[in-house]
Amino acid sequence: MRVSELIENCALHNFSGGDIVANSDAAQPLVSVNPSTLKVRVAEGVKAQLVLLHTKPTQASVEVDLAEGASLSLSDFYLAGTFAEVKVSQSSSSECRMVVVQLGDANVLYDIALNGRGAESSLNGVFVGTDSEHSVFDLTTRHNVSDCRSESLVKGVVSGRATGEFRGMVYVAQDAQRTDARQTSRNVEIGNMAHIITKPQLEIYADDVKCSHGATVGQIDDDAILYMRQRGLSEQTARRVLLEGFVGDVLQRCDVCDELCTALAAEVESKLERL
Amino acid sequence: MLKVKNLHASVGDKEILRGINLEVKAGEVHAIMGPNGSGKSTLASVLAGNEKFTVTAGEATFEGKNILEMSIEDRARMGLFLGFQYPVEIPGVSMANFMKMAVAEQRKFRGEEPLSTSEFLRLMREKSAVVELDAKLTSRSVTEGFSGGEKKKNEIFQMAMLDPKLAILDETDSGLDIDALRIVATGVTKLHTPQNATVVITHYQRLLDYIVPDFDHVLYKGRIIYTGDQSLALKLEKEGYDWLINDYKE
Amino acid sequence: MKEKDNDIIEQLDGGEYKYGFTSDIETEYIRRGLDEGVVRLISQKKGEPEWLLELRLKAFRHWQTMELPTWAHLNIPEIDFQDIIYYAAPKKQQPKAGTVEDIDPELKRTFDKLGIPLEEQLALSGVAVDAVMDSTSVKTTFKETLAEKGIIFCSMSEAVRDYPELVRKYLGSVVSYADNFYSALNTAVFSDGSFCYIPKGVRCPMELSTYFRINAAGTGQFERTLIVADEGSYVSYLEGCTAPRRDENQLHAAVVEIVVLRDAEVKYSTVQNWYPGDKDGKGGIYNFVTKRGVCHENARLSWTQVETGSAITWKYPSCVLMGDNSVGEFYSVAMTNNYQQADTGTKMIHIGRNTRSRIVSKGISAGRSENSYRGMVKVAKGADNARNYSQCDSLLIGDRCGAHTFPVIDSRNSSAVLEHEATTSKISEEQLFYCNQRGLSTEDAVGLIVNGYAKEVLNKLPMEFAVEAQKLLAISLEGSVG
Repeated sequence: MRVSELIENCALHNFSGGDIVANSDAAQPLVSVNPSTLKVRVAEGVKAQLVLLHTKPTQASVEVDLAEGASLSLSDFYLAGTFAEVKVSQSSSSECRMVVVQLGDANVLYDIALNGRGAESSLNGVFVGTDSEHSVFDLTTRHNVSDCRSESLVKGVVSGRATGEFRGMVYVAQDAQRTDARQTSRNVEIGNMAHIITKPQLEIYADDVKCSHGATVGQIDDDAILYMRQRGLSEQTARRVLLEGFVGDVLQRCDVCDELCTALAAEVESKLERL
Repeated sequence: MLKVKNLHASVGDKEILRGINLEVKAGEVHAIMGPNGSGKSTLASVLAGNEKFTVTAGEATFEGKNILEMSIEDRARMGLFLGFQYPVEIPGVSMANFMKMAVAEQRKFRGEEPLSTSEFLRLMREKSAVVELDAKLTSRSVTEGFSGGEKKKNEIFQMAMLDPKLAILDETDSGLDIDALRIVATGVTKLHTPQNATVVITHYQRLLDYIVPDFDHVLYKGRIIYTGDQSLALKLEKEGYDWLINDYKE
Repeated sequence: MKEKDNDIIEQLDGGEYKYGFTSDIETEYIRRGLDEGVVRLISQKKGEPEWLLELRLKAFRHWQTMELPTWAHLNIPEIDFQDIIYYAAPKKQQPKAGTVEDIDPELKRTFDKLGIPLEEQLALSGVAVDAVMDSTSVKTTFKETLAEKGIIFCSMSEAVRDYPELVRKYLGSVVSYADNFYSALNTAVFSDGSFCYIPKGVRCPMELSTYFRINAAGTGQFERTLIVADEGSYVSYLEGCTAPRRDENQLHAAVVEIVVLRDAEVKYSTVQNWYPGDKDGKGGIYNFVTKRGVCHENARLSWTQVETGSAITWKYPSCVLMGDNSVGEFYSVAMTNNYQQADTGTKMIHIGRNTRSRIVSKGISAGRSENSYRGMVKVAKGADNARNYSQCDSLLIGDRCGAHTFPVIDSRNSSAVLEHEATTSKISEEQLFYCNQRGLSTEDAVGLIVNGYAKEVLNKLPMEFAVEAQKLLAISLEGSVG
């Protein structure tokens, strides 16, 4: 089933705007399709799942607030050229796991503020751009207090005349000691007109920190293609398999309902086939 | 099955194969030995169709077809298998999925129906036993994080899965401890039938303790300079290549 | 640990800036401020040809339309460009740099004190020096020895006079006056600097070196260096800088241009030790420098810098890898303490095919300083098989300083393979304890650890300077651990 069909038949709650407060552990994820402004608050100690689906080139502004000890799994999917701003603010010992999939020329800004000690954030993202699309993935993680952890991995694939931009920033405030922050940007360019820009930045004002970032720009591994062809796969299939493998580990982290994950994987696959 | 006549190949301006002649018939096991840099791996790569090398002269037929004109995948689908000296890691692609696709491509090429999932899984189980491959490895990404021995065993496992007519094993024994060597060698022997053939490229005699070749070739400076039987390998092990090379003046 | 930090930082302040003395040399100044008249006056003082004056005026007019760059992670106090003296020269200096006897003895003493004897027989063996004081070059050593091989090594003023074709052909060819605010300013008012030409196929037998000294108060130093390595040649070039301890800030805005022709190789090393200001951040040099080289086919340019001085550093030695198979390298140790600020890094512009570049940057911040790495790796459409590897590490000493990393990777070619890695860490208490236990003072331990951390870069320096740089790091850093 395509994602759009899934939405049509969506039996899940759909919040298109306004405020949501998750006060108790929910079995069902909260789903919002094409939100324009949305505020989500996860109450103290509550575990919640939130799915944001963007299917139209609109503007979205989302604010997520995690109270002490709250835990949120946030899946954010862009199937169109949405302009979005997602702000996450986390209190102590809260945990936010995000999976972001960007297909097409969405321009998305994430601003994650770790405001309470022991807060943890993880983000796994992927963007795929074809034709003349321009994807922007802007991620700022702010370690405002001590003892927080953050880890992010964003993978980009661009082909055709597409441009993919990753702008990352890890900010560690003064006295935010014992910060553990990692940020990784991995990119693959296909064809001679594609364009990757990646800026993984660190701004650090505390000394007892473990911070690292890495960025790579590369291409499809020719040796791997050769290897697969020797096993009988066509070059085209081998490329697709390789790319699916490249973005696969991000998609695998998507833990919301199976139906949606499968539909999304299919969207990604068909996008990769166009590369 | 495989006929190679006066094969010349180069990479860039450098000629590496300088007139190879080789015939391999069904049911035979051939060993190709030779010092480093003599062109052994190049021969394997050229036969498999690696585009890094340019064939400048000569011919190579497999099952009566000129393979030099064929793409690497078509040669593979015809049943030519190359066991890589350095198997490539493919992050994020599970071995099971990879093999499923490879088997499907081969069956499609032969005009056979694709295997059902359960048939495929049965085949996987059966074949992984041949090389005593831990079933868990097949669910991991292709060779990612495999040890050297596991990678090589995995090559033989793939060979078992694809059931090739001709398997060329490029230095499959290098970097193996004695147990892994035994497992790999026994695997190869088990897979050998009167209908298929194996070419073992090796640097050492020790693999040939387990796989007894019908023919032993010595490759030097891009040519096969000597062909003998098992006793040749023993002599090489004892005396090295010098006596042969000295014999062979250009 | 907090207390220990303070201890250490205090010890660090004990690490005197030993080049802070002032020399009493009769100096000729021109009037304060900058306008067309001043630009013409500088040109006239140097007896320059018309084309150079034209270039200066063009640059000056362009500069007037430009705005100060503000993108760096620096807090730069307002600079009054009308409150600077743009030309100051030791008076007894003859227009021709003559023999040692012609030089003011006080000048000679100054350079002796800096460890740069101007007599050839006393000089470091194998190093030819161009000594620049304030706005002019006072002496170039070993000129004759070099001339035998056809190597030209002289002050920029002499070069303009004696080799006008070469200067005219290459001056501004790498860094145009319109490149940025400070390159425009420099082009308008540059007073001296070094010029170096290595002829085809010549391997320069000795290290060439320029030693820059600011002495006069209220002045700025605007020197211009141009190095042309002709096809198949090789040269290793060194640059050192110091200035007196003063409460005011002084501006140093230099431009270095390097042309590396086919198959040539240039190594450019800098040990920058301008006066960094005192422990309260008073005084110090503003070091705003544009350095860039162009590599032609198979050429290689390697920048190595050890930056310990200056109140503010704004500097990005870059490589334009224009020719196929050319190679660019950047090795940097930037160390800041007290209230120093540094925003430094490099640009590697890959244009030719099979071009390779490598960046190794080691930042060390202590006290209340701010230290940023800023780099760009750009791969143009036609730069097939471009390769870059960047490693940027930061070491923090104390919890009141900042260490930042701002890389940009911009690739338009799908055959490029680019990798960037960065880490941030501090000297661990375990490391210190271990050293202490083995009998080392904390001060020595820090010096040891920092030198180890910077080793990869220090190793790239010519030997005499590596030793010097190691000492310099230890002095600038003595103690400041956390």
